[in-house]
Amino acid sequence: MKVEEFSPDSLPDLLPLYYKRLFPYGPFHRWISYGNVEPNYFQNREFSFTLAEDIYIRFKSFIGREDMEKEIQKRCPYKIDIGAVYATRPQERHMTAVFQPQERELVFDIDMTDYDDVRSCCSGADICNKCWKFMVLACKILDAALREDFGYEHLLWVFSGRRGVHCWVCDDSARKLDVSARSTVAEYLQLVTGGENKAKKVVLNSDKLHHSIRRAKNIIEPQFESMCVEDQDILGTPEKISKVLSLVPDDQMRQEIEKEMSKQNTPSMKWAALTSVVQSWIKRGQLKKWRQFLVEEIMLQYTYPRLDINVSKGMNHLLKAPFCIHPKTGKVCIPFNPRAAEKFNPMTVPTINQLIHEIGQFDKEQTQEGDEVSLRRVKDYRKTSLNKGVVIFEEFVRKLEDTWKGKQIKIEASDATLKF
Amino acid sequence: MDISRRRKVTKVVAGSLAELYPHNLQMYYIPPITEISLSEFEDLALERLKVLRCLELVNLKGANKFSDEWKASLCEEMTKQGLKNFYKMSTAPTCKQTDAELQYRKKDHLSHFILRLAYCRSDELRRWFIARELELFKLRFMSLNADEIREFLNMNNLSYSPISAEEKDAIMPSLYESTYGSTALLSEKDFFRVPFTDVLELVRSRKVFVQAGYAYIPSSEFVAVMSSVYRATLGQALMMTYRRLPNVDDERLVPLLKGLHTSYVGEDFKTPKGGEICIEDLDKHARASYPLCMRFLHEALRTHHHLRHFGRLQYGLFLKGIGVSLQDAMRFWREEFTRIMDVDKFEKEHAYNVRYNYGQEGKRTNYTPYSCMKIICSSVGPGDHHGCPFKHSDVKILANKLQAYGISSQYVGEISELVKGNHYQVACGKYFEATHGKPSNGIQHPNQYFEESQVALGNRPAIKQEPMSQNSQHSQPNNYPSKPKPVKQEKVEEDVWGGDIDLSSIDMDVA
Repeated sequence: MKVEEFSPDSLPDLLPLYYKRLFPYGPFHRWISYGNVEPNYFQNREFSFTLAEDIYIRFKSFIGREDMEKEIQKRCPYKIDIGAVYATRPQERHMTAVFQPQERELVFDIDMTDYDDVRSCCSGADICNKCWKFMVLACKILDAALREDFGYEHLLWVFSGRRGVHCWVCDDSARKLDVSARSTVAEYLQLVTGGENKAKKVVLNSDKLHHSIRRAKNIIEPQFESMCVEDQDILGTPEKISKVLSLVPDDQMRQEIEKEMSKQNTPSMKWAALTSVVQSWIKRGQLKKWRQFLVEEIMLQYTYPRLDINVSKGMNHLLKAPFCIHPKTGKVCIPFNPRAAEKFNPMTVPTINQLIHEIGQFDKEQTQEGDEVSLRRVKDYRKTSLNKGVVIFEEFVRKLEDTWKGKQIKIEASDATLKF
Repeated sequence: MDISRRRKVTKVVAGSLAELYPHNLQMYYIPPITEISLSEFEDLALERLKVLRCLELVNLKGANKFSDEWKASLCEEMTKQGLKNFYKMSTAPTCKQTDAELQYRKKDHLSHFILRLAYCRSDELRRWFIARELELFKLRFMSLNADEIREFLNMNNLSYSPISAEEKDAIMPSLYESTYGSTALLSEKDFFRVPFTDVLELVRSRKVFVQAGYAYIPSSEFVAVMSSVYRATLGQALMMTYRRLPNVDDERLVPLLKGLHTSYVGEDFKTPKGGEICIEDLDKHARASYPLCMRFLHEALRTHHHLRHFGRLQYGLFLKGIGVSLQDAMRFWREEFTRIMDVDKFEKEHAYNVRYNYGQEGKRTNYTPYSCMKIICSSVGPGDHHGCPFKHSDVKILANKLQAYGISSQYVGEISELVKGNHYQVACGKYFEATHGKPSNGIQHPNQYFEESQVALGNRPAIKQEPMSQNSQHSQPNNYPSKPKPVKQEKVEEDVWGGDIDLSSIDMDVA
C-alpha cells in the first residue's frame, strides 16, 4: 500500500496520534531539563504553542515530564517553540517584578531563502538536492568553528522541516553567555553582509586569512566548482557573469577577466580563466596586498553560511523544538549528524502520515505473528523511520548527561557529608 | 553621596588625597564619601556630561575611534567646551602626585559617581553611559606606559600573565595568520590567553586567534581585556545603583538627577508633531521629503510589494513618526502586500505587527522610530533593503541611484567622497542640501529630516526650535549645555528642571 501525499488538512487527525505514540518525550525531557543540576531548570523554561487557526500561546511552562506530556497531548500544537530559562516559572511571570531570561542555548538558524541571490535551481520555500548542498557546507563550517574555536562540544543539528537547519549549542558555558557574547559569536561567524544595494558582500581587506576563514575556504574549495559553477551555473548567462564580475573592484582587471572569459566556452573554463587572471596579477605584484584574496572573496560570497543572526543574538528568541511536525510539509524536524550532513536528504525525511502508516504496518505484522508481549515493549518510534533521528538525538543526550553526572555526584556527596 | 551605605567603605576612603587616589586611572570600585555643595554637585555632573557628550560627537564624525584623527578632533571639541585641561590630564597624565593632579582625580571620581546616579535609571541610559565611559577609560589606558600599566594592574588586583615561550612557539603559525595587523613584531610580543568573553570586540571582528574558547591577544591589544573588565564592573554597579536609587529621596537631588539626561537624548518622535499625513501623498513625500533610507524602503516596497522584517520595522515606525495614523498604515501595508499574497495571509502574518508598532499589541509599548545611529548600526543581509544607504550601499550603486533621482553630479561626487570617509550622516545632510537647496541642521534622525524638509518646503510653519544637539552652530553661549529645550506641544514628564528654579543658587551642603 502506498502512503498518500501529505496534506495540511489532515493535521488535526494525525497530530493526536503522533503526540500520543511517536513524540520522544523521554529523551526530549532528559535533554531540556539538563539533569536539573540547577534546580527548576525545566520548570522555569518557556515553551510556546502554536495551535490550529494560528492561535499562539506564549510563556507556557511545565512542572515535569508528565505535565508536559499531558498538555501537549491535550492541545496537539501545530508547532512547539522553546524559549529561555527564567528565574521563575514563566506561567507565573506576573507575580515577579523582574522577568528576565537567565539562560538559553546558543542557537543558529540558517534558512534557504537567504541564498536566493546565489541559487538558481529553486527560490523561496522550495529546496532541491542541488541547493541543499549550501546547507551541508554551512553545517560543516559552523560545526567546525563552534567546536574548534569556541570549544563547544554539545551541538544538536536539526532539519527545520522545510528549507533550513537549526543548531542548538547546549554546553553549560554556551547557555550562560550574555547577550553581547552571543552577538559576538554570531558576528564572528557572519561574513556575508550587506543588503540589496551592495553587490560585494564579502570584503576581507587583509593580507592574511584569519584561521576561521582559511578553514572555511578549505572546506569550500574542493566543492566550489561542482556546486556553484556547475549546479548553480553562476557563469551560465551574460547577466550571471556580470554579477560575478561586479565583485572585482579593479576596472582594468575586470576587463581583462571579461576578455579571457569570452574566449572560453564552458562555465568551468570561464571560472579557470578568472582564477588564472587573478593569479597572474598576484604573481606580478599588481594586486594590492590587502586585495589579494579576491578569488576567496568571490567563493565565500557564493557559499559561506548565511545566518539569521538576530535569532542567535537574543536570549528570548523562540526556536522550533526538534521533533515538531512542519505544518506545511508534514515533515518531522529531525536531528541529523553534522559529520554525515552530506548523506542527509531532506527529500526523504519522513512525513507524519508516513510514520503513522508505518506503525500501523508494524503492528499488523506483529499481530499476525501473534507476539503480543513484545509488541508492547517496543517504543512506537522504534517501529518507524523516525528511529534514526531519535537514535542520533539519544546519542547527543547521553554525551550531555556525562557532563552533569559528575556534578550530581558532587551534590549527593555534599548532602552525605552534611548528615554527619 | 553615601548611596551604597556600605559602612566598611568608610575606613578606606578616609585618608589624604594621595592615598585615596594613587593612580591616574581608576576602576571606580569605591564610592566617595564626602561633603560637597549642591552647586558643586551640579557643576561636576555637567562637566563630565560635557566630556561624554564630546566623545559622542566626535564619534559621529566618523574617524576611526582612538586614531590620531579622532584624538585631534576630540581635543579640538573639548577645548571648545573649555575642557582642555581635562583632555590633557586624560591623555598625558603626569602620574605625579601634584596637587592639581590629585584634585583632578578627585573630581574625576566624584563626577563619575554622580552620573552613575543619573544614568542608572533605564536600559538606554545605562547603555549610553557605559559606552561613553568606556571610551574615556580606553583613551586613558592607552596613554599609560608599561610601568604605569603594571602598577595599575597590581593596584586593582588584576593578575594577567603572558603565555610561556613554549606555548607560544607551538601556536606561532596560527598567531601569525590570525592576529590583526603587521606580523613584523609578533614574535617579540607577549601574548595573553584570556576567555573569549573577555575580549568580545576583538573576537567579533576576527582580529585575534581563537581556540577552544580562549583568545590569544598580543600585549598591544591588552586594553581590550581591561575595558571588558571595566565594562562588566560598571554594568553591574549601575544595576546595583539602580536598585538602591529609591533610597535617595532628597528633594533637591532627585529632580536634578532625573533632568540631567533629557536634553541629551534628543527627541524620540514617538508622537508626530505636524498634522496627519495622508498615505496617498506618500509617493510625493518620498521624492521630496524622505531621507534616502526611507525613500529606498518606500521604493522597494512599491516595486516588490514586500519588505523583510527589519525593513518593515524601520519604515513602519518612521511612518508612525511622521503622522500616518494606525488605520492608514494598515491600509497602506495591506494594499501593497496583498498584491503578492491573499488578504487572509496578510491579516494573519502582518496586521499584528502593524498594530504592534503602534503599541496596540503585545507589550503595548509605543515604539520609538529608529534614529540614525540605530539604523547605521543595524545588520543588513542579502535580500534586505533597510539600513543606512550611505553605509550599506556600494558607492557606485549609490551614485547611480542619486543620479537617477536627478541630483547634480557635483553633489553626487561630494556625497560619494563623504561616504568613502565613513561620514554617513554628513553625507545625508548633503543629500538634504542637494534636494532642498539649503543646508540642514545636521541629520540625527530620519524623522527629524522629514520635519526639517517639511518646514523647508513651506508645508509647515517653522516651529521655533532649539538646536537638536550640541553640535549645531547656534547653541547659546554661557549656558548650561543641559538646560532643557522649552517643551513644545506636549509636556514631557521628565522635564523637572523646567521653569526658573535656579538650583545653583541654593547653596546647601549635600551630605
